[in-house]
Amino acid sequence: MGIYLDYQSSKPVDRRVIDAMLPYFDEKFGNPSSLHHVGDVATEILEASRKTIGSFVGGKSDEIVFTSGATESNNLAITGYAMRNKNRGNHIVIAEIEHISIHNIAKYLEKNGFVVSKIPVDQFGLVTLEKLAERVNEKTILVSVGYANNEIGTIQNVAQIGAFCRERNIAFHTDAVAAEGLLLLDVEKDKIDLMTLSSNDLYGPKGLGVLYVRNGIRINPLTIGGGQERGLRSGTENIPAIAGMEKAVEIIQKEMPEETRRFQKFRDRVIKEVLGSIPKCYLNGHPTSRLPNNVHFRFDGIEGESLLLSFKEKNIAVSTGSACSSKTLEPSHTLIALGLLHEEAHGSLEVTFGRFNEDSDVDAFLDTLPAIVKRLRKLSPLYKEEV
Amino acid sequence: MKSTQYSDKVLDHFKNPRNVGTLKGDDVSVGRVGNPVCGDLMEFYVKVKDDRIEDIKFKTFGCGSAIATASMITELAKGKTVEEAIRITRQDVANELDGLPPIKMHCSNLAADALRDALTKHQKKQGPTKEQTTDSTVPGEIKGLSDFLNKGVFTEVANFSDFANKRSMVIDKGERSMEIAIELTKQTPRVIFATKMKQLPATEIADKLKKSPVRVLYESEVLEISGLNTVEKVIIHDLNEDEKYELFVDSVIVPA
Repeated sequence: MGIYLDYQSSKPVDRRVIDAMLPYFDEKFGNPSSLHHVGDVATEILEASRKTIGSFVGGKSDEIVFTSGATESNNLAITGYAMRNKNRGNHIVIAEIEHISIHNIAKYLEKNGFVVSKIPVDQFGLVTLEKLAERVNEKTILVSVGYANNEIGTIQNVAQIGAFCRERNIAFHTDAVAAEGLLLLDVEKDKIDLMTLSSNDLYGPKGLGVLYVRNGIRINPLTIGGGQERGLRSGTENIPAIAGMEKAVEIIQKEMPEETRRFQKFRDRVIKEVLGSIPKCYLNGHPTSRLPNNVHFRFDGIEGESLLLSFKEKNIAVSTGSACSSKTLEPSHTLIALGLLHEEAHGSLEVTFGRFNEDSDVDAFLDTLPAIVKRLRKLSPLYKEEV
Repeated sequence: MKSTQYSDKVLDHFKNPRNVGTLKGDDVSVGRVGNPVCGDLMEFYVKVKDDRIEDIKFKTFGCGSAIATASMITELAKGKTVEEAIRITRQDVANELDGLPPIKMHCSNLAADALRDALTKHQKKQGPTKEQTTDSTVPGEIKGLSDFLNKGVFTEVANFSDFANKRSMVIDKGERSMEIAIELTKQTPRVIFATKMKQLPATEIADKLKKSPVRVLYESEVLEISGLNTVEKVIIHDLNEDEKYELFVDSVIVPA
């Protein structure tokens, strides 16, 4: 497989999680809706998982709704809340750097009579209360700001935003997918009303997500059917995945402090060495309020897909915000929101560490990067001066 | 097909690009196409002797296929007559490379265009020279300038520390604007200097500016300043490419 430094895109499922899931494919295959003993076994793990995840986020088990993934959770949170509460107002506020799913949900709602305002961020990717306050009005019913950014790793002042919204009786949704497993989540302290989680980002299986819905917060379901998940998300529960996520959370709760310390060591070493050795190279995102596993650089005169391809040659998997690697040929909207020019956004390189990285992976990355940058700059008409 | 799933031939040209570099001399024509705004930039240097392409070099800023297509087209063009080389299309280049991902077809388009640009310039050199018209548009007032005066737009900087960590754009109004831009870099990592000129004058202060961390946008005109209550964005017109784009900034300084 080579060296994998792109944990924000996908994570392998932890072996211990797979072991916890296996019995639920055959031995314990029941449907929680069945009243017999086979169904009871499924109900048991469903409720145990709900309880574990509830306590993991500082909430209660009956505030946890299982979905098919983070995208569905974002849809259920924002569209579900907007539709249910439209008699109170039609205005929603999101940040410029939200995940693409939230931008597209916002577009959908705009076509359906809602007004959406976007909060610009500062050059480090932070949403400020000042800019949020400017955008809130008497029609605002919901604010959605991601806990931390999946690309540049900037961590928001979530508690501040939560308190601001609570005082004004505005619901607060946060997409916590990039932060989960790396930061301690606490829906009480941060006054979060709706929160999106994904199972894979905790080294659980794909195809499962969670929406935390605070008791008292009313949302409309988007999937109508047999009334599972308190009617908020119908469809027979994905029990093997739910069992897997339970195990994944249990592992994270035990191992997070040690794990994040390790990532942080990797992160700080890479930032220090790269900025210290490669000219015209910059760190994107916040210097301190940053996910412990995230490194995001940009290099003058280089295009990100070429960087990525060059690393691919060496069997090292990294990521970029360059337009050339995206489906739309648009550069990352997050990087543009930081105030970067298109050509700067094109030269970006993202590295995210995870559970199975070792010091030798970091060594290999640091050994490989300088020659790649040098070669691509030699080819580049935008990098003439220093060659 | 994923954007990074390339044919072996594309990967070969990406890894070992042919004819990288520049050429110098009176008989060399330079073609330049693209725009960092849309992603790619390509330069071709063509040396023509007896109507045949004797030598050709390129430089490119772009993705894997941009590099590969530029490299490929140099091989295709070398030895061909100018007329033959002008007729090379993006499809020809893609075919020679055993295909490109559909989304990448614009990149090879660029290679053919850049080569054509170089060759047309060569032909113009041969033919009667035509007087180039210079841009004579009258600079108008920047939209939003007066609305945001002292709400992110400033005509002078009294206290540089007010700009701590602000993304600041300084609009070229001569030496004072250069001084301000340089001084601001002590307060914030992000200072952008927008000038309509193709290059800065050969003065001491301009030289200092070029060596400073200030990012200079040449041939750029700020058309509009926007925001909710204070400055949040500007719209910039890239005069060279005739393209408009948005840039997030916190303040704009337009020295009087």
